[in-house]
Amino acid sequence: MDKQQDFVLRTIEERGVKFVRLWFTDVVGTLKSVAVAPAEVEGAFAEGVGIDGSAIEGMTRSYEADVLAQPDPSTFQILPWRGEVDPTARMFCDITTPDGEPAIADPRNVLKRTLARAAARGFTFYTHPEIEFYLLKSSDYTDGGPHPIDNAGYFDNVSGGIAQDFRRRSVRMLEDIGISVEFSHHEAGPGQNEIDLRYADALTTADNVMTFRTVIKEVASEQGVYATFMPKPFAQHPGSGMHTHMSLFEGDTNAFYEAGGQYQLSKIGRQFIAGLLHYAPEITAITNQYVNSYKRLWGGDEAPSFVTWGHNNRSALVRVPVYKPNKGQSCRIEYRAIDSAANPYLAYSLLLAAGLKGIEDGLELPDEAEDNVWELTDTERKALGYRALPASLDEAIALMENSELVAETLGEKVFNYVLLNKRREWRAYRAQVTDFELRTNLESL
Amino acid sequence: MTPAISLSSIARAGFSELSSARPKLTAIAVALGSDVQYLLDVFHVAPDPDRALAELERLTESHVPLLEKLIPSRPSSERLVRVLGGSRGLSEFISRHPHALAEFAKDPSLPRSAQDVRDTLCQSVGSSDGFSSVVGDDARDKLRIRYRELLLQITIYDLAAESPLDEIEAVTAALSDIAGAAIEAALSVARTEVLESFSREDIALVDIAVIGMGKCGARELNYLSDVDVIYVAESQDEEALSQEKALLIATRLAQHMSRIIYEVSKEPGLWEVDANLRPEGKDGVLVRSLESHLAYYDRWAKDWEFQALLKARPIAGAVDLGNRYVSGVAPKVWSSASRANFVEQVQRMRQRVTEHIPKEDVDYQIKLGPGGLRDIEFTVQLLQLVHGLVDDSVRQRGTLEALNALASAGYVGRSEAASFAEYYRMLRLLEHRMQLRDLSRTHLMPRDVDGQRVLARATGIFTSDVDAVERWQQIKLGVRQLHERLFYRPLLAAVAKLPEETHQLTSEQAQARLSAIGFRDARGALHHIAALTSGVSRRAAIQRALLPIMLQWLADGADPDHGLLSFRRLSEELGETHWFLRMLRDSAGAAQRLTQVLSGSRYVSDLLERIPEAAAWFDDDEDLKPRPLSVLSSEMVAILARHEGDKAAQSAVRSMRRREILRLAIAGIVGVVTMTEISRGLSDVTTATLEGLLALALRERDEKGAIQANPEFAIIAMGRFGGGELGFGSDADVLFVYRVTTECSGDIAQKRAERIVARIMELAEDQRLPFDIDTDLRPEGKSGAIVRSLESYEAYYARWSLMWEAQALLRAVPAAGSPFLLSDVMALINPIRYPAEISPTDVREIRRIKARVESERLPQGADPLRHVKLGRGSLSDVEWTVQILQLQFAHDHPTLQTTSTRDALTALVAEGLLDAEDASRLDAAWILATRVRSAITVWSNKSTDVLPSDRTQMDGIARLMEYPPGSASAMEEDYLATTRRARQVFERVFYGA
Repeated sequence: MDKQQDFVLRTIEERGVKFVRLWFTDVVGTLKSVAVAPAEVEGAFAEGVGIDGSAIEGMTRSYEADVLAQPDPSTFQILPWRGEVDPTARMFCDITTPDGEPAIADPRNVLKRTLARAAARGFTFYTHPEIEFYLLKSSDYTDGGPHPIDNAGYFDNVSGGIAQDFRRRSVRMLEDIGISVEFSHHEAGPGQNEIDLRYADALTTADNVMTFRTVIKEVASEQGVYATFMPKPFAQHPGSGMHTHMSLFEGDTNAFYEAGGQYQLSKIGRQFIAGLLHYAPEITAITNQYVNSYKRLWGGDEAPSFVTWGHNNRSALVRVPVYKPNKGQSCRIEYRAIDSAANPYLAYSLLLAAGLKGIEDGLELPDEAEDNVWELTDTERKALGYRALPASLDEAIALMENSELVAETLGEKVFNYVLLNKRREWRAYRAQVTDFELRTNLESL
Repeated sequence: MTPAISLSSIARAGFSELSSARPKLTAIAVALGSDVQYLLDVFHVAPDPDRALAELERLTESHVPLLEKLIPSRPSSERLVRVLGGSRGLSEFISRHPHALAEFAKDPSLPRSAQDVRDTLCQSVGSSDGFSSVVGDDARDKLRIRYRELLLQITIYDLAAESPLDEIEAVTAALSDIAGAAIEAALSVARTEVLESFSREDIALVDIAVIGMGKCGARELNYLSDVDVIYVAESQDEEALSQEKALLIATRLAQHMSRIIYEVSKEPGLWEVDANLRPEGKDGVLVRSLESHLAYYDRWAKDWEFQALLKARPIAGAVDLGNRYVSGVAPKVWSSASRANFVEQVQRMRQRVTEHIPKEDVDYQIKLGPGGLRDIEFTVQLLQLVHGLVDDSVRQRGTLEALNALASAGYVGRSEAASFAEYYRMLRLLEHRMQLRDLSRTHLMPRDVDGQRVLARATGIFTSDVDAVERWQQIKLGVRQLHERLFYRPLLAAVAKLPEETHQLTSEQAQARLSAIGFRDARGALHHIAALTSGVSRRAAIQRALLPIMLQWLADGADPDHGLLSFRRLSEELGETHWFLRMLRDSAGAAQRLTQVLSGSRYVSDLLERIPEAAAWFDDDEDLKPRPLSVLSSEMVAILARHEGDKAAQSAVRSMRRREILRLAIAGIVGVVTMTEISRGLSDVTTATLEGLLALALRERDEKGAIQANPEFAIIAMGRFGGGELGFGSDADVLFVYRVTTECSGDIAQKRAERIVARIMELAEDQRLPFDIDTDLRPEGKSGAIVRSLESYEAYYARWSLMWEAQALLRAVPAAGSPFLLSDVMALINPIRYPAEISPTDVREIRRIKARVESERLPQGADPLRHVKLGRGSLSDVEWTVQILQLQFAHDHPTLQTTSTRDALTALVAEGLLDAEDASRLDAAWILATRVRSAITVWSNKSTDVLPSDRTQMDGIARLMEYPPGSASAMEEDYLATTRRARQVFERVFYGA
């Protein structure tokens, strides 16, 4: 048994942990949890814990052989929830088949596989997400829509507000659980918050995003409010994105950095962006996976609707942030379409795969967008060759269906589960008769 | 004037060029003031006296004073000719640096200690505090010359040794030490060289450790090979020097170091420093921090990388850092062996034994290939990994140390371990002498007699070239057998008392080994082994000899447990026959094929139990060739003539069918036939069987025992049978047709025809290997008459002819019965299946039917992605696409008039009716689905059209499709991806979407 497993078993004893939650994520990005008693942990390391294979398929359950959840001891953490009397800990799990192969349908494994492909070329993939979410008075929306907890704006300092307490408490809790938080500020919408997770390799970041969502929801409920990662809860306020900064490292060197390149970007960096742009439309069904995601993507307010890149251009899909002198290691690019409700494992897999493909095929980076893309006319955009991202989930699914890149990266099975889930969501959505239709049609027709 | 010596005495000394040797010897004797007879005696010990003489002659030209001191001493001069005649590389070194001749005057010894050689080599470049006093070519030359002097010292010792076999460990350890020391000294030169770019303080703060891997790590290096290393570095003080900068400096140091060792300079380079075993291989960064290494091994490392770490040892640079690296990775090495995919790891290791040997070299390789050094290392490492999991004592780096430890702990017999060690030493000795000759990195036995003779003399243990080659062949054989003896024989000993065994594994240990090689029910397997090997019968005795190797082969299959059980059954059935065990014993090919088939196919193993004598085919490819239709038909005629009674004839027909299908299945598994040949063969067997059954039905007698009048009767092959595309477990689609004759007409003819069909169905019955005759493609489908007259077909098609019926007829070909009737049927249907024109309504109708079939025919709850016949992008999608195009265009493009799906695809592309890329996607899906469908049947002996989701089953199916072991996921992904792409084409071409 290796040292990390020893550490876990020892800590469980020393801290009197009563339950260990084994966490894994299904294809749509919902966190699943199986609790085991401390006495079962040793066995879980050795043999895994049997679970029903359909648990990771999202909403469409078909017959699937049983699988095993194999806890990853390096992810062991005591959960700092105040509400729980008995100390509880959690570990993320890899899902494997009974013969020990990674389960193809495990999103965490999809990311691991993609990272391994990058590693085979000598690259490590680092990400740093800025996660936005809304704090609401409650999850009840029947009485005139959801109610945000305050009305403050961007970078406003609301003294003594719940929001401030909330942020202090969640930052503390996140740090207790081993997640470094880089910066937090009030976002543009009322009740909207942003917390930035620190740079880490993509697998750690994705695990952290899952933990983060749970912690935020937990703290909110502690304080009698409600937190939502829904991409666009208010038509009139900005949506919640998860802008993600990315960089590739070769060993200990940043592969995007080249002193003297345009914006200090290396050739690899430029090809990576070219790949992202080329594949952006077909991966959107994953980075923006809900019907509601498209309300954010096409709702203005800095959300990128067109496939462009720019230096510090806030309307561009890919942004190359201002370079800090002598910080070659911090050279990075930001992908702005992805939203807070994405499955981070799958979304990061595809961003990486698209970028790598750009490098592999030596794609040329088109000219950068220097103006606000939103302010251009359709014809101007056409003339400049700016393609649009899909305008609806339906369109995004159609693009993804024919994507070899997505099928190859997710693996045929996850690819299918996602399609089944998303088609189903779209059908259910289309079956609605909305408020809008009633308002505009009922009387006039 | 010294007296002349006789040519025969020169020959006795081992020279081959006698007459030119005599004047040379004489001249040297004169020049050095020595006695020629004395000189000749000295040459007796030279591995290659002619070469040694030539070298000595060259030295005499310019170094008389040095030689004059050396030659009078018999031991010194013998040492000299051993080296001159044994190593061209070192001879050249001596002639470049004659002062090295002084080495020969000393008593042979190995360098005192590793520290000693380190000090000596560092001194050579004037290093103090880790910085050398010289740089550039000067440093390179000084270091290399000093290294070669040490190499010469070791060589002199090795070649002069009384029993060189006993010196192998000491010599390889010394060679590893001077390699490590050379790297240490080169590092100090590198530090001084990078002073151009970095400050002395910064460089001094960098800790860099060089970890030796492979042979150097295990301290068992040979004379000339790459030295495998991994670099790890860190800053001693992060306040003063950032980690990032430390790694940058360390990378430069490593690059300089490897150039100092190898780069061109006046004195040739030593050997390549190979860092490709580092994380991420060639693409990875050269130097990493300790944390970065450990993080990599935690997350990304592949299993073989852990096996490589088994040998890791710090050889130069920062000792403490190196030790932390080794103790950091050590636990991962042994826990990797407890992983669930250990069995696959082992198989990978085995593949490495025989990997990448050019064909012409196989017979000359002493390292790779069966019976080579790698084979010994594999066996030892495997046993270490299996037993080292619970027993620390076998966790050793060196091969000989490990072998010793395994014997002490009782995992292998002492005498076996001793002979294995002996073989290992012999092979190493051969390797060393071969490498010394030219100081080259060779593992190939010389191919010419001269080379072999020199090699034999150089080892000092073989008497002649013939002796060396013969003994080497014995060693190879011995190594192969010992692998079995070490690994598999003890498994037998655990359950059966074998008189010759000196030690016994416990049954737990035996089960651990069986599990490690892939037996799922190790206890059950042990039980079968006991049953097969216990007792004093001849059968048990032969099986005791056979089983060790057969266990290994069974373990290579997908289902070793079932394979062993089947073998036990077969052996109980056939063990007493005179040929079965003898064939297995005398024909390695037959035994290996038999085990491959038994552990890979239930279909075959079940049929073999019925037809055990078919086991004889394994010995001969001729027996596995499909029998052509003409041969099958004549056998059928003979059967019918031989057996008057219908019962006996029926059973003979059935046996023939089983036998021929079994033949095709075995041939398919062992790979002597292609997929197309199998389909053709299955169609031929089906045709011949129908011919036989029809003949039997026609000769049926009435209640009074009289032969009845029959109408003219024929059978048309349809569907995949008609296309010659049958797989294992496929139904045979047919149409039955008759024509009235003068003796049999009207209602009586129809009645009689119906009886013939019923009789055929009756006779076709086979519980063991079902023969399903499917008539659903007849006019009006299931509700239509089971057989019609030709006129009735004519009338029906003239009046009703539906599009789906025309479509079904696309694959009609004559199968059996009256040739006249058959040709009239074909003439009748041609205009129907190749219409001059079909209306858009008809096309739409076909599309609609297909759409309905997709939803209706798919069995309840079946996953359309996994249904190989009706599922997404599988057989029916491809076939319907082809057929809709045939219906539209075959009339105007006669090349489309074929019943074969693949031929039609080719023709469609040639006629410009289908895009080549689309056709190749359809073709790929069709082939894959066909292969999967057959493989499912052959693997499980169940006919199902659904790709299983059970992983063991998928693995077995994948292996039958020639995927490497452990490819369940890969095969599944391939299937899903290939059919997904075909479906895209189908939707566009067929539905026009």
